[in-house]
Amino acid sequence: MAASSSAGRVLTLCKQFQNVFRISSAINTKHCTATLTRCQPHLYRETSPLAALSWCSPVSAVSQCRALHTTVSRRGLDEFFDLPENWGENNVKSGAPWTAKQLRTKSNEDLHKLWYVLLKEKNMLLSLEQESRRQRLQMPSPERLKKVSRSMFRLETVVKERETALRLLQTGQEKGRPGAWRRNIFGYAYWYRYKEYAIPWYMNKRYKRKRFFTPKFVQPHIRLRLEKHLRGKARDASLQRGSRSKLKEKFPQMKVSAS
Amino acid sequence: MPVTRVLYPLYQLGNPQLRIFRPNWFLTLVRPGKEQPPDTVQFRTPMEMTKCDIKNYLENIYNVPVGAVRTRIQFGSNKKRNHRNQKIKQPDYKVAYVQLAQGQTFSFPDVFPEKDKTPEEGSMEEMEQKFMEDEKQRQKLDPRRGGVTEWFGL
Repeated sequence: MAASSSAGRVLTLCKQFQNVFRISSAINTKHCTATLTRCQPHLYRETSPLAALSWCSPVSAVSQCRALHTTVSRRGLDEFFDLPENWGENNVKSGAPWTAKQLRTKSNEDLHKLWYVLLKEKNMLLSLEQESRRQRLQMPSPERLKKVSRSMFRLETVVKERETALRLLQTGQEKGRPGAWRRNIFGYAYWYRYKEYAIPWYMNKRYKRKRFFTPKFVQPHIRLRLEKHLRGKARDASLQRGSRSKLKEKFPQMKVSAS
Repeated sequence: MPVTRVLYPLYQLGNPQLRIFRPNWFLTLVRPGKEQPPDTVQFRTPMEMTKCDIKNYLENIYNVPVGAVRTRIQFGSNKKRNHRNQKIKQPDYKVAYVQLAQGQTFSFPDVFPEKDKTPEEGSMEEMEQKFMEDEKQRQKLDPRRGGVTEWFGL
């Protein structure tokens, strides 16, 4: 929390400087990036407020955060289309998808940038696919879509690995979302994942309606359930044994399979 | 396809606002079916995106000035039947009409222009084409017979 608040203060400071002194925005941007990137290693949750992409922020703040992680876009809406020299071609050459091994060598910032590059590429390909479907033509090099989605999948896995490693170091918890084993009213144990509530649990009627306990009178039923399960298993096993012995009687030379 | 199911924290009034790190939302720019004003762009967006999301997405990632966003939900067709005569539902999607700001205009380009398909001199494709033409010429019937079949006649 402390890191986030300090970063927020830095951001506001940057803005104030820009407003008051009218320094050229390039210097300011650079300064801002430097401060933000220094804070980057401290962050490990997706939901931490210090994001690269300034979401839900006014346009004035955009220019400051522009150089952070999104790729520099000059073409605007033309980025939804392929390069003009590729228009009307039957196949467009493309490289191999990113492998997880390659992605593991990259820094967090690079990965974040790469995500946006891939996102734009995928948007472009989806637009192209839709347009070709509309004109009843074949999409040029449709394998690119699969390549991009595979790269994105691998990038996600790599980021998840890093988050898990950092979380294990910092909090010793393996899972990003804390939880606990609980028993429901029928005696089944399951992994309950905690979530945020706006009010405390003792005021929350809907939470209190859920019963995370097993009453005493359910115990015999649990036992019966177990018995039923075991009986079914035993019956199956005996059936198999019987059929096998009969087969053995009929065909003594037969080889018995392992299962 | 996302790997991580992100659980966003509950909304709280005040800053810092919720940020999204690696958005897995994909917009598709489509050619409008009905004619639109020159400053309007039509997108297909995922269902869970709101107008504000679309505006922020375009402004922050694509650096496009957005004036206004209007959305509607397109019902995917439910008429198709499969070989078992069961109804097949096409997925619904959200259509966004984005009006550009600052007097910008957009017209959907022709992504599939007609290109001359003459192959290069001495390339494999040209040889193939020549061969196919020769074969066609060879398999044509004799024009002097006037369309009478081969097996008929002395």
